[in-house]
Amino acid sequence: MKEELQALKEQALAELATVASVDVLKDLRVKYLGKKGQMTDILRGMGSLPAEERPKVGQMVNEVKKILEEAIAAKTEVLEAEALKQRLAGEKVDITLPGRKPQCGHLHPITLTMREIKKIFMRMGFEVMEGPEIESDYYNFEALNLPKDHPARDMQDTFYITEDILLRTQTSPMQARKMQASVPDSPIRMISPGTVYRNDYDATHSPMFHQVEGLVLGKDISLADLKGTLETFCKEMFGSSVSIRLRPSYFPFTEPSAEVDISCVICGGKGCRVCKNSGWLEILGSGMVHPNVLRMSGYDPEKTSGYAFGMGVERIAMLKYGIDDLRLFFENDLRFIRQFK
Amino acid sequence: MLASIDWLKQYVDIDVTPEELAEKLTRVGLEVESVNYLGEGIEGVITGKVTQIERHPDSDHLWVCMMDVGGPEILQILTGAQNVHQYDMVPVAVVGSHLPNGMTLKKAKMRGLDSFGMLCSASELGIDAKLLLPEQREGIFILPPDTPIGVDIKKVLGLDDVVLDIDLTANRGDCTNIIGLAREAAAVLGKELRLPDMSVKEAAGGNAADMAAIEVQCKDLCSRFAVRVLKNIKIGPSPEWMQKHLRACGMRPISNVVDVTNYVMLELGQPMHAYDYDKVGGHKLIVRRAAEGEKLVTLDSQERILTPDMITIADTEHAVGLGGVMGGLETEVTGATVNVMLEAATFNGPSIRRTSKALGLRSEASGRFERGVDTILNHNALNRAVHLLEQMGACETVCGIVEDYPEEVKPAVIRVTPKAINTRIGVEIAADEMVDILKKLQFGVEYDGNELVVTAPSWRYDISCDADISEEIARMHSYDKIESHNPELPLVQGRQAVIDDVCEEIEDYLVAAGLSEVMTYSFINPNNFDKMLLGESDSRRAAIELMNPLSDEFKVMRTSMLPGMLNTAAYNQARQADSVKIFEIGKVFLPKALPLKELPEEKQVLCAVLTGRRSALNWTESKDEVDFYDMKGIVEGLLETVQLTSVKFVPVAQPYLHPGKSCAIEADGKVIGWFGELHPTAAENFDLNGSVCVLELEVAPLVATATHVPQFEHLPKYPATSRDIAVVVPLEVATEELENVIRANAGELLKKVQVFDVYTGKQVEAGYKSMAFNLTFQADDRTLTDEEIDAVIKNVVEKVGEAYKAKLRD
Repeated sequence: MKEELQALKEQALAELATVASVDVLKDLRVKYLGKKGQMTDILRGMGSLPAEERPKVGQMVNEVKKILEEAIAAKTEVLEAEALKQRLAGEKVDITLPGRKPQCGHLHPITLTMREIKKIFMRMGFEVMEGPEIESDYYNFEALNLPKDHPARDMQDTFYITEDILLRTQTSPMQARKMQASVPDSPIRMISPGTVYRNDYDATHSPMFHQVEGLVLGKDISLADLKGTLETFCKEMFGSSVSIRLRPSYFPFTEPSAEVDISCVICGGKGCRVCKNSGWLEILGSGMVHPNVLRMSGYDPEKTSGYAFGMGVERIAMLKYGIDDLRLFFENDLRFIRQFK
Repeated sequence: MLASIDWLKQYVDIDVTPEELAEKLTRVGLEVESVNYLGEGIEGVITGKVTQIERHPDSDHLWVCMMDVGGPEILQILTGAQNVHQYDMVPVAVVGSHLPNGMTLKKAKMRGLDSFGMLCSASELGIDAKLLLPEQREGIFILPPDTPIGVDIKKVLGLDDVVLDIDLTANRGDCTNIIGLAREAAAVLGKELRLPDMSVKEAAGGNAADMAAIEVQCKDLCSRFAVRVLKNIKIGPSPEWMQKHLRACGMRPISNVVDVTNYVMLELGQPMHAYDYDKVGGHKLIVRRAAEGEKLVTLDSQERILTPDMITIADTEHAVGLGGVMGGLETEVTGATVNVMLEAATFNGPSIRRTSKALGLRSEASGRFERGVDTILNHNALNRAVHLLEQMGACETVCGIVEDYPEEVKPAVIRVTPKAINTRIGVEIAADEMVDILKKLQFGVEYDGNELVVTAPSWRYDISCDADISEEIARMHSYDKIESHNPELPLVQGRQAVIDDVCEEIEDYLVAAGLSEVMTYSFINPNNFDKMLLGESDSRRAAIELMNPLSDEFKVMRTSMLPGMLNTAAYNQARQADSVKIFEIGKVFLPKALPLKELPEEKQVLCAVLTGRRSALNWTESKDEVDFYDMKGIVEGLLETVQLTSVKFVPVAQPYLHPGKSCAIEADGKVIGWFGELHPTAAENFDLNGSVCVLELEVAPLVATATHVPQFEHLPKYPATSRDIAVVVPLEVATEELENVIRANAGELLKKVQVFDVYTGKQVEAGYKSMAFNLTFQADDRTLTDEEIDAVIKNVVEKVGEAYKAKLRD
């Protein structure tokens, strides 16, 4: 009987080695270890053994059983791993096919620029205020020290609706509106972004564009403060390596007035086509609020001084993104808008 | 303003390059836009005399010229021009010389004969034709007969000059002339300013006051009017040196008298006018307002109808000129003129501005008057002009100036402390330096240790207050020396209006939903209202019209965002965009009444347009076009974003929307917007293809809820159970109605109803649709049993069946 067991073990193990699938393995288990399997057949002969031999044989039976069970389990693991590997290999996808990408849209570059400008000034404690686009001649011009028939009105070709109502040519009317809405001589720190209009349409002029006005009023505010604020703004907007310079200029509502240039963001100031080899780019107009403007809106120039500035958002966006044609902003070609993030 | 450096050098020593001068002027507020080298590219072109000219033996248009160019040899040069004669002086481009177009002259052979150079026309020398007399524009440029031979043409024609193009700001009327610019240049270069020779001979004797009279009737419009009387005028060309300067500054030489008036205007800034003395009735000039409807034929031969706010110069009979704008034809100086009245006056700027605008006549003169002209200049200009004409031997001058100067114009006197100036600029400039700067600019200044008493020079009429003085100090001290500083103000929170925050939230949502932002013009063509199929009485047709639009395309302020958006969609479709999903938050302009008496309402509106494919072309997505439910989904998501839950979608009648695929958005019983598919006729009107969905929604009603802070609710402790039911109901039954019936009969255990299938087709009777709902039940206090749910479902199905004769599908 011992020999039988030994033979069974060897036969089973030999057979096991050739098994290649989990299903065949299951059959093999039944064949040797099942209720009607060969081991059971052998065990049936136990009764004919002498009583003293039975424990020994019994022990041997258990050992063989255990060896076979373990061998089968090990084989199962191998085969299952192999089968899984096979399955996964069959499930391979073409990783170069494009994915299911959520389709996001894009903000207009003017909005992106406007948001950034607002953010920079809000961090500096500026309040953002908006005003009407259809404006009175009074707020757009007269309250800004630009009486009717002033030659400086030529600087801004105006769309009129009536003799006294017009499309604002600048966001500056908010200077007067804000002062008039404030307690006289209380400090002000505001910017006013918005859409403005001028009767001018060619490659470098759009009849509609965007500006951000700024106004800072307080006691003993100076041109040096203006320079500091705008320097901070330009460095935040264009990077800390940018420097600014002020150039004397003229706006009827500021005195002294200054154009602000930044070092060319394209060439870094060495001179290129964009900056016409000057190394500088004109970026905004500014100045100390004219005493007449303060007086007309109820502020006392003896007590309050301050500065105002105005920048073209399209101009800043063009420099920031390297856009070379103003008209693109309003053509709204999606191939253009999709370039901005 | 074009400024010849050669001319400037007559009055100030310039020892820097034109570029350096340009930079220095720019840095004190006179922005030099460009530095132009007139004769750029010309090299080796010299003057030559035609000693002999004959026809080419083998050509019917070529001429063979023998040219004396000052060298040992006479050059044979061929020309095709027909205006050359023997002994003419002409520009000669000899072999090896260069022309502005980049050409280098080589020996040439024409029809068998050698040509050792080229005779030049004005355009070949790069001279702008409009600066030349008509006879100088065609053919070879014939030079004055007294021109020396063999001299560089650049010297002869002033092409060795450099011209600065200066963009003058409106306040610097004093710099619209060479002297004004020389004065600034002298200040920045630290040089002395020389003044032109204004001495007069007055060789005709007599007394001008006996020969002419002046009367200013409108003293508010003319502060000074002065004339001189000139006899025995000899009209002829002005000398070449004067023509050179005129051309360099962009003016065309005409004749000596006209050229001198222009020359003095460019040199001193005083516009002048010359009248034919013998044609001025009563030899008297009266400055008055025009009579209503008064007529005048101006120098350009046009009859002008005048109005009383125009400054008219009249003789004793009628108008002979428009003061400061344009002279009259009748008294024009011509070749036959013998005696002249020369005028220099100061007219009111705003009035000149209105007149020249009304008549469409902007000129060098009117532009200068608009900015202001120094009254002191009147005499200087008359004397300078007379000096020049006498120098040319073109006239004899009668003694004295006749004028009416009703009230002397006083210069502004300003008192300001150096401290106030330093505070305004944010610097520490010593009082002495301030005095020095002001003196350099020829201001009168006294300093008593406390206050500066500053008297503005007569030409600086832009100076009126201490802020103006601080600008003079700052610009001459240099803006570069101002150290940046930050304003010392109370610490405050920077913020924007809540509606701006909400707009940003909406924009971000829409971008995430796949829409791109566009920016359309606020003005539209009113024909868009027809394209939108708006009824005759639709209030949106009451749009605000511009008085001076660029064109019909930009004529009225939009009352709807839609036209701009649809045109943008069409623009993109025309550029092969297969999917256009766009939005804009903008303003519509709603007048309270027309014509506009007060500012209109400016309402912020969101507009969105979807056309074309629902999703980008992708192997995994369907190729379907957008429809009503795409837009509805976007709207629902948007309302969730702004937490506006109390919204109803109700039927709407918008002429441009598909009547069966559109609805209004109603919040608190008020319509705040609408959306749907565009009416096919409207789509066609806007050149749009395929299905087009649009949305218009007011922004203001979205603000209140957008800022709500959501409040936490406990998560359910017990599991939910869900069941599907499908019912067949008549087609016209609205889903919302059906849902209401389900909810009403399902009791409070029902937490959610979701439609997951709608079917019409073969398996459903015509006129009916099958709808499948998923119902979710949940209790707060226990796990629900199947029996409970079965009973509820049974009830729901029965009630739906009763309501719509519906049946539960298997």
